[in-house]
Amino acid sequence: MNNLVEIGLQRPVSIENELCSRYRCTKSACSACADVCPVPDAVRFLDQGVEITDACVACGACASACPNGALRPIESDAELATTIRSQVRPGTTFRIACGRASGRADLILPCLSRLTEALLLGPIRGGAERVELFDPGCSGCGLKKAAPQWQNVLAFSQALCEAAGLGTDRVARVGVPAGKPVEVRSPSETVSSRRAIFRAMVDKWAASDAPAAARKAEPGKMPLESFRQAVQQRRESPKRMDLLQLLQTLPVAKVASKTVPAANTPLADLEIGRQCVGCNVCETLCPTGALRHREESGTYALDFEAALCTGCRVCEVACFYKAVRVRESVDVSALFARPRVTLVCAPRQKCRACGETFLGEPAELCPLCQLSDRRRAMVARRILFGGKPA
Amino acid sequence: MSEYNPVLPLEAVERSFAKKGPKQYTLWIDLEHCIGCNACTVACKAENNTPVGVNYTTVLEIEEGDFRDAKKTPNVGVTFVPMPCMHCGRPACQAACPVGAITKREEDGIVLINKDKCIGCRYCAWACPYGAPQFNAEAKVMEKCTLCVHRVEKGLLPACVTTCVGKVRFFGELNELTAVMKQKRSRSVSITVAGANTNPSVQYTK
Repeated sequence: MNNLVEIGLQRPVSIENELCSRYRCTKSACSACADVCPVPDAVRFLDQGVEITDACVACGACASACPNGALRPIESDAELATTIRSQVRPGTTFRIACGRASGRADLILPCLSRLTEALLLGPIRGGAERVELFDPGCSGCGLKKAAPQWQNVLAFSQALCEAAGLGTDRVARVGVPAGKPVEVRSPSETVSSRRAIFRAMVDKWAASDAPAAARKAEPGKMPLESFRQAVQQRRESPKRMDLLQLLQTLPVAKVASKTVPAANTPLADLEIGRQCVGCNVCETLCPTGALRHREESGTYALDFEAALCTGCRVCEVACFYKAVRVRESVDVSALFARPRVTLVCAPRQKCRACGETFLGEPAELCPLCQLSDRRRAMVARRILFGGKPA
Repeated sequence: MSEYNPVLPLEAVERSFAKKGPKQYTLWIDLEHCIGCNACTVACKAENNTPVGVNYTTVLEIEEGDFRDAKKTPNVGVTFVPMPCMHCGRPACQAACPVGAITKREEDGIVLINKDKCIGCRYCAWACPYGAPQFNAEAKVMEKCTLCVHRVEKGLLPACVTTCVGKVRFFGELNELTAVMKQKRSRSVSITVAGANTNPSVQYTK
């Protein structure tokens, strides 16, 4: 019975803290989820990480907006992708409608902002000629704050199609009058059916027996001893892996370079300046494992895989030396080609005092040990001589 | 309290411990009588079990005067300056930490590093104007003076204070300490570092 109560209380959107930029780096100003959340107070920022409150209406906009895929709605992306795969008919137009659009649609979502790039391009992979989004105009909708999200996703999907040589009109928005959408297929197959919800409940009930204690942990109140281990584990974002997997199987004509502005794009191109000291903070805190370092015969090299980068900018804000910079524009074709570039390559030295390694000219002490010694002496002199260096 | 220090009245220490709510525990270091014996450094290492190379508090020797200055009488001397963590009001280390591992405790003003969260990036050491945070190369985490928080919570004085041979280190609440300082010592020193506005709490007199 306890399990049943727990299921009833489970939030419609769960958070995987290790993927959340705000959890990994408290300096992160990422507010992607809160920016699109149409309900006031449904997303709350904690000291570390975010929390979804009971006000959530499960529209799924935050899950789509989170570049790292840290937010997981109860109807997961995988379930939705399965539904799309079962609905799509090759050679036809796949229509996706929001709950307020009129017309016959293959898929009806409460809000179009639930769509991610991988879901939106799913029908194309299934052989559909075109994907249409029925847009009755978001201005009169209670969820209108989420509207920029699906427009961003649409724009990025169009850029992806263009980079793949498929043309921009493969995914498009179609203006329709407001009304009540009609499902083409039998409603029992849709994810929003009662049967699916009950099945999900039964699945969760079965799964809740063993790791109940683990799931009870409040978001943001993870046992602290695991934080360091959690951030030091290397793993990719499942959301990004879904997209990459989809792009690999997309009927690509010819990959061409397509440059888009980096703002509002879940992709980034990095450059690292000469200030880099090889502290590895960017690598440690990167939620998606886009940065990896190599050490070969006294040389330190930092590799960047642009296809894994979600543009969360954790590396940029975390870097103390302001060495990491996100470029203004980014080439979308990196998601197809998956290039690996070396951003930093420098000889590595070992400090005699602290035992840590550092980049730069050979020296006995690392710049930090030298600086700390100088600073202590300087402060002591100021204490004694009132600011005048002796 | 057998190691009771005659300069600081016992009541002031008791009042410091008894004081409720937000307060700032800190140290007062009297440079006039410091003999540079480094007993505080050793006691701190023993108490906190720090590895070689990690010192929560050090004693610097600052030389002054010049033999070769012919115009004045030679007036050469060495002053010893113990340097613990300053437990700043606006800690620069806290602002620099990318993972929020450093906190300033509201209830007693002690700045602590959460070693379970620390990723060992040493940004706090770069940011601290006083060179206080120390890198523990074995555990790959940063450490620093905790003002012996484990002792203070039990109502004991920090190890460096109880062990101080010259009776020049005093522990207490900031306002209690400054009140006594004003009565007993004429020259208190405020530590300011150009460009750093961290409001350090540790008090020095000379």
